[in-house]
Formats: sequence, structure tokens, C-alpha cells
Amino acid sequence: MEALTLTGEVREINRALRALPDGAAATVADPRGRHNLAVGLDAEVKVTIDGPAGYYIGGLGKKADITVNGPVGWGVGENLMSGRVHVKGDASQSAAATARGGLVVVDGNASLRAAISLKGATLAVGGSVGAYCGFMAQAGTILVGGDAGDGLGDSLYEAVVYVAGRIASLGTDARIEELTETDVKTVRDLVKTCGFDHIDPENVTKVASARTLYHFDTQNHDAY
Amino acid sequence: MCGIVGLHLKDDGLGGRLGELLAGMLAQVRERGPDSAGVGVYGPVRTIGAERGSAGPTPGGLGVAPQTDATGLTVLKGVGDPVALAEEFGLAGMSGHQAVGHTRMATESAVTTEGSHPFSPRPGLCLVHNGSFANHATVRRALEAEGVVFETDNDSEVAARFVGHRLDLGDDLEKALRLVCDVFDGFYTLLVTTDSEFAVVRDAVACKPAIIAETDRWVAMVSEYRALVGLPGFENARVFEPGPEEVHLWKR
Repeated sequence: MEALTLTGEVREINRALRALPDGAAATVADPRGRHNLAVGLDAEVKVTIDGPAGYYIGGLGKKADITVNGPVGWGVGENLMSGRVHVKGDASQSAAATARGGLVVVDGNASLRAAISLKGATLAVGGSVGAYCGFMAQAGTILVGGDAGDGLGDSLYEAVVYVAGRIASLGTDARIEELTETDVKTVRDLVKTCGFDHIDPENVTKVASARTLYHFDTQNHDAY
Repeated sequence: MCGIVGLHLKDDGLGGRLGELLAGMLAQVRERGPDSAGVGVYGPVRTIGAERGSAGPTPGGLGVAPQTDATGLTVLKGVGDPVALAEEFGLAGMSGHQAVGHTRMATESAVTTEGSHPFSPRPGLCLVHNGSFANHATVRRALEAEGVVFETDNDSEVAARFVGHRLDLGDDLEKALRLVCDVFDGFYTLLVTTDSEFAVVRDAVACKPAIIAETDRWVAMVSEYRALVGLPGFENARVFEPGPEEVHLWKR
């Protein structure tokens, strides 16, 4: 099927994208950093956003495969349910925030609070992430190909973070754990999916929750 | 919310287009601050024709007729839609070497011309703020005890007067902004300019947006990426987000 090319107002573009049947493809031309493009899709469609995009790109979506040929603003793939959002550039703050399923791939760097409150999805960043990555992440996987900023994995629940580069500092209740064979396999599969050849799956640092802050305890008051 | 835009020219060849470029940027952050807006333009000393009602756009909230200060800084502020105000100010026709703009969504004090940004408590100094300060009343009392006089209840004015006071005491702008990080509690992305400097600083958790773009011809700082895309040569700009409590400063 020939890909549809869309321009114009964000609402019109999103309406046209939501009308696409499974297997269809569309390109959003000249996005000029506009917000909310390709949010709330619910079909197996391929969407290419051909240039820099704004906030919440591909958020709330199911099944769709979205590629952005440029950087994105805050909250890319926020609350994603399934499918994939692939950013061929940098991502601003809160990439994949609260995402429940699917895969968010950022080829470049991701800014602060990447994967904040992640709820089951996977975030793979080829470059580095800013401070507070994985804050309160409840479930899912975070892979960082470069370095991680301060406060990595602060107040983590069951999400797991793998970092190929340096970690500026760990957040409260985050700890480094031994890499198991299952971890290596998870990272190897993810590296292959994302084409992140620069990451050696056997040479990443695993960060997970020390589980001391699961329940509020006045003895831990200083840690909050 | 609130929106910030700023443009610092390295290439004076663009000076004639400064106002036009800033007006385009300001229009892209219109939704971030529909209450009121203001601009500060650094250029030649000029006479301002635009008046807005009886209050009039005022330089630095000083409550007098619009004028250019001794350094060539013209501040114009007003209440209402930012795009309509820019037109009223005649922004697109203004030239110079540096300009800042602000669109306000008020949280800490009333929507008035005086409470609009930029705040210019000292010749050549301009401050625009996105965020809110938690301890502004405490800092205000401390500054008042040192003889600093305020004109509004606005929290951003406190930051502007604090920076102005530090410059009066002999600190350079970078030092003054580092002290802002030490003294102020709250959320802030600040763009602070003097007639020769253009500086950006964010709070420790950097929860208010800021994007900087730089080319050989200009440096721009904006709240949102889309405010950058109309700038000449933006395709080849180095674009980055300033990190928490980093002071980024350019000097002509």
C-alpha cells in the first residue's frame, strides 16, 4: 500500500492517522516541532514523522510502529500500551513516562527523568540519560548505551536498569546487582532489536531496587 | 507554564531582523502564557510610540512612559494576548543585538502590566522566569533589609532585584546566578541578560523546560523547540538542554 503523506493541523493529522487500517503506512511531513503527533493510535500501522517533533509523540498508543526522523520534546511514548516509538535523534525529558507496554527507542540522548514511573514497557536509549532516570519505575526494562546522570533509579520498584557507560550516582534505594545469564540475554535481544551494536551485553551495569522503601517506615524517614 | 524566548546575535548582519525573529518565536509560546507578555530589546536608543490604554507598556515595571534606558534596553509589557501585544509594541520592526520575550500564565501574583515580565531593576538588566519561587517572601525581606525597594508582589521581581543587587555589589552575572541557585527555593528556568551578556539557569530538578540552540550567527533560548524552527540556519544549529543548576552564559 502506498504511504499517505500528511500535513496541516495536528488534529487533522491525528484523525487521519487513527482512520488508517492495519497494515497501512503514513508519513507526517514537516512536523516543525509540533506536539501530540500520532497519539492514541490503535492499529498495526507504520507512521513516519519526518523531522523534529514536540511533546508526547506517540503517547497512549497501541500496536503502531512510529519512527521520528529527528529529535522529540517531552514525554515521547508517554503511557504507551504496546507497539514501538523509535526516535532517530535526542529526546527531551520524561521519555516513556508511565509506559505500560511496547518499546521506546531513542538513538541519541534522553534528558532528565527518562522512564519515570515506567509500568512495564521497555525504554532503550543509545546515548546517555540525564538525572533521575527510572524514578519510581514499577516494572519494565531500561537500557542506557551511554552514561547515566545523578539519582539513577531513585525509589525503584521492580523495573531494571542496564547501563553501558558510567553512572554519575545512584538514587535512594537503588543498588548495583550481579548480571545473570537472563539479564545478558535480555540485553542481547534488546541490543539486536534496536541495532545498538556499541553496547556489549556482557559488560553493562545492572541497577535494581534494594527494596528497603517498599513500605513506609519511620526508620527510613531520612531516606525520603 | 509561561513561555520564554531569547535571541542573542553574534552576527550584527541580522540586527535589522531581530524584532521580526523574536516576534516569530514569541508567537510559538503564545499558549504557554496567554495572560500577558513583554519583551526586552537591546539596541539603539529609540522613541517608543506604542501605548496600551492608560497603563501603557512600561519599562521594567517602573510605571513611567515607555523609554529606552541608557544602555539601549527597551522593555515593553502589557496584559492580553502575546501576539496582539507584539504587534502593538511594533516588535517586528525593532532592531538591535539581543532580545528576550515572555508570555505569562500567572500563578504568584495578579495579572497586571507591572507584574508582567521582563523585570528590569537596573539599567541593562532583564530577567524572565518560568516557574515559581517558594521562598520569595523570605528573600524579599532580606533584600528590603538591605535597602532594596520593590514595586510589585511578584516572585520573579524578587529574583530580578536579587540579581541586580548582587551586580550592584560587584558580583559578575555568573556569580549572581550561582547565588540564585543557593538562595532561592522553587522551580525556575531563568533567562537573564545584560547589554552584553545572555545567561540561562535552571533549578536543581530542572522541571521547567529550556532549550538552547547555537550557530555561528546567534544563540537562542526557548521554552519549546518549535520556537526555534523559524530561525535562519537553524538546521545546522547545535541544540541542547541546559542541565540542572548549570549556568550557561554568552558574552558579546
